[in-house]
Amino acid sequence: MLSVISYPLFLVTVVLALVLSISLFPVGWFEFRPEWLGLVVFYWTFRAPAQFGILMAWCLGLLLDVLEATPLGTNALGMALIAFLVLTIHQRLRMHPLPQQCLMVFLLLGINQMLVHFIKQMLGADAAGFSYLWPALTSAIAWPFLCGLLDRLNRQLG
Amino acid sequence: MPGFRLFLVILISAALIAADARFDKLTPVRSTLETGLAPVYWLGNAPYRFSDWFAGLFVSRDDLQSENEELKARMLILERRALKYAALASENNELRRLLNSSEVLDDRVIVGQIVGVSPDPFSHEVIINKGQSDGVTTGQAVLDAEGLMGQIVQTSQFTSRVLLVSDSSHAVPVEVVRNGLRSVLLGNGEADELDLVHVPDTADIREGDTLVSSGLGGRFPRGYPVAEVSRITKEPGEPFVTIRAVPKARLNQSRMVLVVFQPEARDRLEDRSAVPMEEGTN
Repeated sequence: MLSVISYPLFLVTVVLALVLSISLFPVGWFEFRPEWLGLVVFYWTFRAPAQFGILMAWCLGLLLDVLEATPLGTNALGMALIAFLVLTIHQRLRMHPLPQQCLMVFLLLGINQMLVHFIKQMLGADAAGFSYLWPALTSAIAWPFLCGLLDRLNRQLG
Repeated sequence: MPGFRLFLVILISAALIAADARFDKLTPVRSTLETGLAPVYWLGNAPYRFSDWFAGLFVSRDDLQSENEELKARMLILERRALKYAALASENNELRRLLNSSEVLDDRVIVGQIVGVSPDPFSHEVIINKGQSDGVTTGQAVLDAEGLMGQIVQTSQFTSRVLLVSDSSHAVPVEVVRNGLRSVLLGNGEADELDLVHVPDTADIREGDTLVSSGLGGRFPRGYPVAEVSRITKEPGEPFVTIRAVPKARLNQSRMVLVVFQPEARDRLEDRSAVPMEEGTN
């Protein structure tokens, strides 16, 4: 838990995550795009579990639903689930070394991707295979950099 | 406590998903939220505008001059073609009037720019910077310079969402330019490949044929190029041939698009459905 957090920084990261999830991306690399909003939700519930929680994550997920044109509530549910899982493990998570944190990021975001994928499939989307899990992997790779950067910014601005 | 909140959120989400996906009740909510998210689209597009502006700062006068001359020459060629087209169009309308069918009016278009793509890699959608405030409505066709790109599926105040022809849930009624053979062109989730379905084994279709929108179904305007047949596979024993086509529009490269306003699309549809009855009574 950080002693100080910066709310402006929170807003900036949310807007940035939303922008990054729609901005143009090299075509061939499209499915490897990290789940930016999932990372942001993970970071803030992990660092400040008292201030940010399930309802905030749900609202952010709703915005992602609008951007992605998925049925409203799909990503919202996924994000809320990430927040819930982070809230239940955040005390142990802080003791983990960095590689193990990355593994947890992969697992939690993978669970989120699976849930979203499952709902979409149930509503009639048609995409076979496990390639929908790539964003979880790239997010896990991005995690140490993101976490380090945001921690430093929080300490300077908070 | 977190458990109770999660439970609450699951209930709300389930209700929302059902209301949105099954009953289409949430379109206004979505449209309002999307209007609120317009700054996000604007920011997402900002780097491109900046790089355009930056590139514009360092263009030499000679380059501009040569480009200007090139464009003038090109405009001359196109103007000559437009002159001929005007004559042909009036002649065509004259003939149609003789046949007692309605006149074909020219479609009005507005130019839009792609400001984002859908984050979901399994759906082929783009977001353009024209919305309800420009008069865009759901169902309008979207073109680029080469051909049909897709249709508007959702609008907000300043942006709208375009479903591309290559999306696996998209279909366009088309006809072969050479002989008017009608069929339906389906997207299959690949950006550079479309499927032409239900074409019988014996149909007259060749590789290289151009497919244009047929206007049947009343959604797409008639006569815009959609794709070119690239591969035909005949399987002995199958009633239909497998036909692959390459979309004409540059689906993942174009930045500028045209949104088409069809004049009285409904009138034309009624007119077309009325034609066979007239023939029957005469």
